[in-house]
Amino acid sequence: MSEQGFWNQEWMEIQQKYWQNWSDFSRQALGGKAVPKSPWENAMEHWWQVVSPAAPDMTRDFMDKMMNQGKALFHMADEFSRNFQENGAATEWNDVMSKTFADMKQGFMGMPEAGGDDALHKMMAFWEMPLDNWQRMVSSLSLMPGDMLCNMPHGGHLERFLSAPGLGYTREEQGQQQQMMLKVLEYQQALQDYMQFFSNLGVLAVDRMQTRVGEIVADGKQIDSARQLYDTWVGVCEEAYGEQVMTPEYAKIHGRLVNALMGVKHEMAVMVDESLGAMNMPTRTELRTLQTRMQENRREIKGLKAEIAELKAALASQVAAKPKAAPRKKAAVKKKAAAKR
Amino acid sequence: MFPIDIRPDKLAEEMADYSRKLGKGVENLLNSEQIDTGVSPKEAVYTEDKFTLYRYTAPEGVKQNSVPLLIIYALVNRPYMTDIQENRSTIKNLLAAGQDVYLIDWGYPDGADNSLTLDDYINGYIDRCVDVIRQRHGLDKINILGICQGGTFSLCYTSLHQEKVKNLVTMVTPVDFKTPDNMLSAWVQHMDVDLLVDTLGNVPGELLNWTFLSLKPFSLTGQKYVNMVDVLDDEDKLKNFLRMEKWIFDSPDQAGETFRQFIKEFYQENGFLNGTVKLGEHLVDLKNISCPVLNIFAEQDHLVPPDASVAPQENSTSASIPLSAR
Repeated sequence: MSEQGFWNQEWMEIQQKYWQNWSDFSRQALGGKAVPKSPWENAMEHWWQVVSPAAPDMTRDFMDKMMNQGKALFHMADEFSRNFQENGAATEWNDVMSKTFADMKQGFMGMPEAGGDDALHKMMAFWEMPLDNWQRMVSSLSLMPGDMLCNMPHGGHLERFLSAPGLGYTREEQGQQQQMMLKVLEYQQALQDYMQFFSNLGVLAVDRMQTRVGEIVADGKQIDSARQLYDTWVGVCEEAYGEQVMTPEYAKIHGRLVNALMGVKHEMAVMVDESLGAMNMPTRTELRTLQTRMQENRREIKGLKAEIAELKAALASQVAAKPKAAPRKKAAVKKKAAAKR
Repeated sequence: MFPIDIRPDKLAEEMADYSRKLGKGVENLLNSEQIDTGVSPKEAVYTEDKFTLYRYTAPEGVKQNSVPLLIIYALVNRPYMTDIQENRSTIKNLLAAGQDVYLIDWGYPDGADNSLTLDDYINGYIDRCVDVIRQRHGLDKINILGICQGGTFSLCYTSLHQEKVKNLVTMVTPVDFKTPDNMLSAWVQHMDVDLLVDTLGNVPGELLNWTFLSLKPFSLTGQKYVNMVDVLDDEDKLKNFLRMEKWIFDSPDQAGETFRQFIKEFYQENGFLNGTVKLGEHLVDLKNISCPVLNIFAEQDHLVPPDASVAPQENSTSASIPLSAR
């Protein structure tokens, strides 16, 4: 690898092969011959598996992002290109386009029907980014990797069971655990609403994309590269997102999601504190109280220090002013003393 | 004519090009050394708790303004943005223009700083920095440049300590926190900030990163990296990108009580406009600001929309000069 760098001959051959596949496909567009799905992606992944162990964490994370976006970019172009190549000659372009957009919408509604492969789902993965960001953030606030709360059991009659009062000697503990589970359920519901919002938003974005493509046609222009298609899609998504997240409905969904997560974490903190208290160890609540009191003391001390400094400065200036007047007074005293004598 | 006509050979070419750039990019990424940030020489002149007051070294042959300038940056990101690279440095330009520049680096608050309030930051830390500078230069008043949230702090400070401020510059500073195009504001209206702070204590930088990325998720977490591939084979551009990337994700945790107050008093209660911001025992009134104010804001800013920034001229008695930038 070191002699050839990361860009080696093998990789070039894979690219060439891919190009060849496409060219063959292009020639036999109506021949019905199956074309291998996403050889580019496979080759890319193979290459990355070889290279990535040598890369430092930051670089690997960074490259992962570019790889994933590259996949989204070319999956989309792939999907559109295939649909147009396979059906374009036989039907009107707007029929083909409608079918492609209908497939995309189905992808958002959780019903991928992309001929049994997951190409459409991967293309849609682009839309999972806000959710992915959320889950990364939740993971960073937790000891456990990922958003473990979203996989906890829920649904059915669980809520009713959890509302039943605790019994016997451990009723308080039962109540606390029930409260915890209810908070988890609240979080799962809030997360579901959040995901549903994005699913609806995705459908809206597809409609917008269809309109945008119509406008491009009306202007006598054409999208002729994967990058142009991707940029148009990003623009449309951002536009639809920007409008929808400013609605009062989303503000509530967003608020509920954050509050529900905090509700769970708060219950956890209460339980942890109780355990610490039982072990005769300082709890987080106690530490917070100490921190607050300490900060109050520091604030007062700093204020007093500033006052002392001001007083010292004032005193110093008074002392500095005194020596000039002093000799006269002494002289006056001497005069008085002399007069008495 | 087909609206989307991506020829297979062209698509294959694009893919190959993307892959080639990625391949080359790994080499450049592995070769890129530690990402440096902050290019102008400076010395620490005062420290307290987690923060440091720096003074930047004046370039040779440049006559300095006799009134120094204190830059107050936001708590939510690191201040090296003002001096991020040789050809993109506000500080460098200010120094070249003869300004004697000081800057407060807030550092990284930890759990022990949870109880710091806005009053501690503004009437405590900032006021002491201003006093240090005044003393060093034997002056009654200095100039202040506040950036973003630091601008909001500067407005509060000037309102309460007008006798110590000669001129005030606010840069991308929110004043009206409830303009219709303010996404952040819309999102926090239903957020229970008491529950959040009581639960987490300090507010983690990751939570803030998520919020900022959510403003434009597809551009900021997706398209940006596709665009990045185009500059991967250019070492300088790659380094500049990595610097920005480092800055974006270098988000210090926020002292819990300060965060609680900031969200409640500014975002939820729009305190500047309603005259409800209270720091310690003092009510903040922008009408107390009587020094000249230069208000700089961007016309396309999704974090601080321009309408959020234009309020100072209507809410203070000072001679305000708004300056917008594209």
